[in-house]
Amino acid sequence: MTVPQSVWTTGRRVGLVGIAIAGLLTAAGAGQTPQVPGASRLLVQDTALPPMDRGLRDQDSPRAARSRADAERLRGDGGDDGLPYVRGSIIVKFRPGTTAAGITAATRQVAGDTIDRSGWANFDIIDIPDAADPEAAAAALRERPDVEYAQPRYRNYAMSKPNDPLYPNQWNFPAIDMERAWDIQPGATSDIIVAVLDSGVAFRSGTFRYNSTFRFRLTPGGPFYPALGVVDVPFAAAPELGASGSTRFVAPYDFIWDDDAPVDLDSHGTHVTGTIGQLTNNGLGVAGMAYNVRIMPVKIIQAVWDEIFSSPNEGTDDVVARGIRYAADHGAKVINLSIGRSDGGPAPVVTDALRYAVGRGAFIAVASGNTRDDGNPANRLAQPAPDINGMVAVGAVGRTLDVAYYSTSGPFVELSAPGGDQRAGGTSAGILQQTLDLDLIETYERPVAQYGPPRADAFSFYYFQGTSMATPHVSGFAALLMQQGVTSPAAVEAAMKQFATDKGAPGPDELYGYGLINPRATLRGLGLAR
Amino acid sequence: MTYRLRLSVLAVIAIAAVAVPAAAQTRTARQPATSSRSVQIGGYAMVGQFRFASARSFDTILGTDSGPIAGGGATVGLPVGGLFVDIGAWQFAQSGERVLVLGSEVIPLGIPVEIRIVPVEISAGWRFRIRRLPKLIPYAAGGYTSFGYKETSTFAGTGEDVDERFGGYHLRGGVEFKITRWLGVAGEATWTTVPDAIGGGGVSKAFNEDNLGGTSFRARLTVGR
Repeated sequence: MTVPQSVWTTGRRVGLVGIAIAGLLTAAGAGQTPQVPGASRLLVQDTALPPMDRGLRDQDSPRAARSRADAERLRGDGGDDGLPYVRGSIIVKFRPGTTAAGITAATRQVAGDTIDRSGWANFDIIDIPDAADPEAAAAALRERPDVEYAQPRYRNYAMSKPNDPLYPNQWNFPAIDMERAWDIQPGATSDIIVAVLDSGVAFRSGTFRYNSTFRFRLTPGGPFYPALGVVDVPFAAAPELGASGSTRFVAPYDFIWDDDAPVDLDSHGTHVTGTIGQLTNNGLGVAGMAYNVRIMPVKIIQAVWDEIFSSPNEGTDDVVARGIRYAADHGAKVINLSIGRSDGGPAPVVTDALRYAVGRGAFIAVASGNTRDDGNPANRLAQPAPDINGMVAVGAVGRTLDVAYYSTSGPFVELSAPGGDQRAGGTSAGILQQTLDLDLIETYERPVAQYGPPRADAFSFYYFQGTSMATPHVSGFAALLMQQGVTSPAAVEAAMKQFATDKGAPGPDELYGYGLINPRATLRGLGLAR
Repeated sequence: MTYRLRLSVLAVIAIAAVAVPAAAQTRTARQPATSSRSVQIGGYAMVGQFRFASARSFDTILGTDSGPIAGGGATVGLPVGGLFVDIGAWQFAQSGERVLVLGSEVIPLGIPVEIRIVPVEISAGWRFRIRRLPKLIPYAAGGYTSFGYKETSTFAGTGEDVDERFGGYHLRGGVEFKITRWLGVAGEATWTTVPDAIGGGGVSKAFNEDNLGGTSFRARLTVGR
C-alpha cells in the first residue's frame, strides 16, 4: 500500500493517519468547522432520549470476525504505511537527576525540538522530524546513560473478535462455576472500583457534536466514504450497566479526547464492561461477574469513529500508560486491559505504569492476544506479567474449555478464562453481553450511499470472542476476591493461580498458564482437611 | 443442645453406666483394685486439653492448636495382677473459618467451618500397687484409637464436607488417687498418633501435616474399684 504518510490540517496533524485522504476537506466539513473547533468535540445536550434496546440480534447475517488487521485497516489503507507506531514523536523517560543540559542534548541528538509532559505521566514526549525513524531514534536515546527508557509511540487496539449474536445463553459463567461462586460472594460491592481501560463505555447520555472533515476509503481501490461535516451523535448509558449519571460510574476520563466523557463509539469497551459488571438478578438481559462494583470508564483506545472525527490522540503506549496511572491514582482496585499490540518492540513506558499501579494496590488483568493462528506474536503489554506480582496475562478458552484457536500462547500467559471459540462452537460459543448496536455504529460497513453518522444510544446483545472477552472474567473475579478480603494484588494473583484448574500439560504451560480460573474454589478457600 | 450440655450428659451417662455394677460389688469386693482376683468394673468422666500434632493447620483454621475435650468411659480390671482394659470416648468441637494460604500469608475468608472430633479409645494397661501409698495408683496403658473427624463448612457442596473415621494408636500414663474406696480422681497424659488422616487437602496439605493425633492432659473422676 502506498499512501500519504501524514496529513496536516488546520495546524494539527490528523489523528486518522491511515485514512486514505483523497479530497482533504470537503466544503461542508470546512464550512462547519467553527462549530467544532479544531480536533475537538462539543457536548451540545447533556440529556438524550432513552436508550433503544434492540434485543438479541440472532437474525442478523453472520459478520466477519474482526482481527488486528481489521482494526488497523484504515491505517493500512491510509497515510501511515501500516506502521505500528505514530511518526513524529517518541516516548522518553530520563533518569532522576538528569540535568536540563542533558535533556537538551538528548533532544538534539534525535533532532527533536520540544518536550511535552502530560498529566498522569512520569515520562516525556519528544517531537522528532516526521521523516525520522522513531524506532531508530528511541534506540539511540536508550544508549544514553541518562535515559531510563525510550520507545516509539506504539498504537494499541482492542483485542476482540466480534461475531454475530445468535444464541441467548451465557455458557461462560457456569463453565467456571460462577453460580456457586456468587453464593459465596454475590457480586462484590460498590467499595470495589474496576477501571475499564478500553474504547470507552456507554455510561452516560447526551449528544456530542463532532466534525467529520475527510473522506476516506476502507480498502485499497475501494469506494470513498464522504466527509459528513458536523454531526450530532446521540449517546445513552447501556441499560444493563446502569443509569446515566448514577453512582455506578466513577471518575470517567477520556485520554483520546482529553475530557471527562469517555463514551464508546466502538462497542468493545461496553461489551468488556458488561462481562465485569453487567447488572444481574434484575430480570433483564444477561449477567456479569462482579455486578455490584463501581465502574471507572477510561478511554485509551481510538475507535474508527474517533479517527473519522479526528480525535486529538490515538491509543499509543504513552496514552495507555497515562490511563493506567490515572486509574491507579483515582482509586481503582482492579484495572482491565483488554487491549494491546503485537507489533513493535517492548513498551517500557507501559510496564513502568503497570508497576506503578500494582504498587498503588491495583490488580491488573491484560489480554494475552488473539494471534495464535496468525504467527502467535505476543501482546507486548502482556509480556511483563510474569515479572509483576499483581498482574496476570489472560488466555482464552472456548465452550469446551479447550484453548481458543486465536488465544496467543507464550511463557507470559498466566491464566485462562472463557473468551469463546466460535470456530469450534459456532456463534453461540462467543461471550454474550449487551453493547452498542453495531448496525447503527458501524455505518461505514454499509454501502457508501447508506453511510451516515453513528448512533450510540441503541443496544443489542452480541456474542464476541477474544482474549478481550476472557480478561474481564479475571477482572471481575479479582473484584470478588478483593471483596472477600484478599486485598493485595499479589495475593489476588497467587490465589487465582493456586486454585486454577490445570489444563493442558501438567503444571503451568504456555497455552493455559496455570489453568482455567476457578472462582468458586478460590473464594471458598481451604478448610483444615479439604 | 449446647456443646457444654452435651459434654455434661456424656459424662453423666458414662458414670451412670458403670455406677450400678460398681456399687453392687461394694459388699463383696475387699481387695484393692490392683490385686483383685475378680473382674472389677468402674467408670469415669474425663475433661482435659488436647494439643494437636498438626498444630499449624489447627491454628490456622481455629485460631488455636489446642482445645478442651470431655468424655468418659468404662474400665474393667481383670483378675490378673493390675491388668485392665479401658474403653472411652471424648469429644472436641470448635469453630473457625476457611482461609487462603498464600506462601507465608494466611487470609481469612469469613466462611464458617466447624470441626468436631470424637475418638473412641480402646486401651489395655497395668495398674501398679504402691504398698506405702495404697491410695495412689499409677497406671500405664496403650491401645487403638478410632478417630472420628467431621469438618463442615458453609457453602460446601456434595462431598466437600468431611465425616470420616481414622485409625491410630495411643499411649497413656497417669496416677489415680482414691478418695474413697469407690471414688477417685486421676491425672493422666496421653499421646495419640493418627497418621495419614489429613494432609490430602485443605491447609493440612499446604502445611504438609497429616496427623490428627496429639497430646492431651486429662483429669478423671472415677467411680468404682
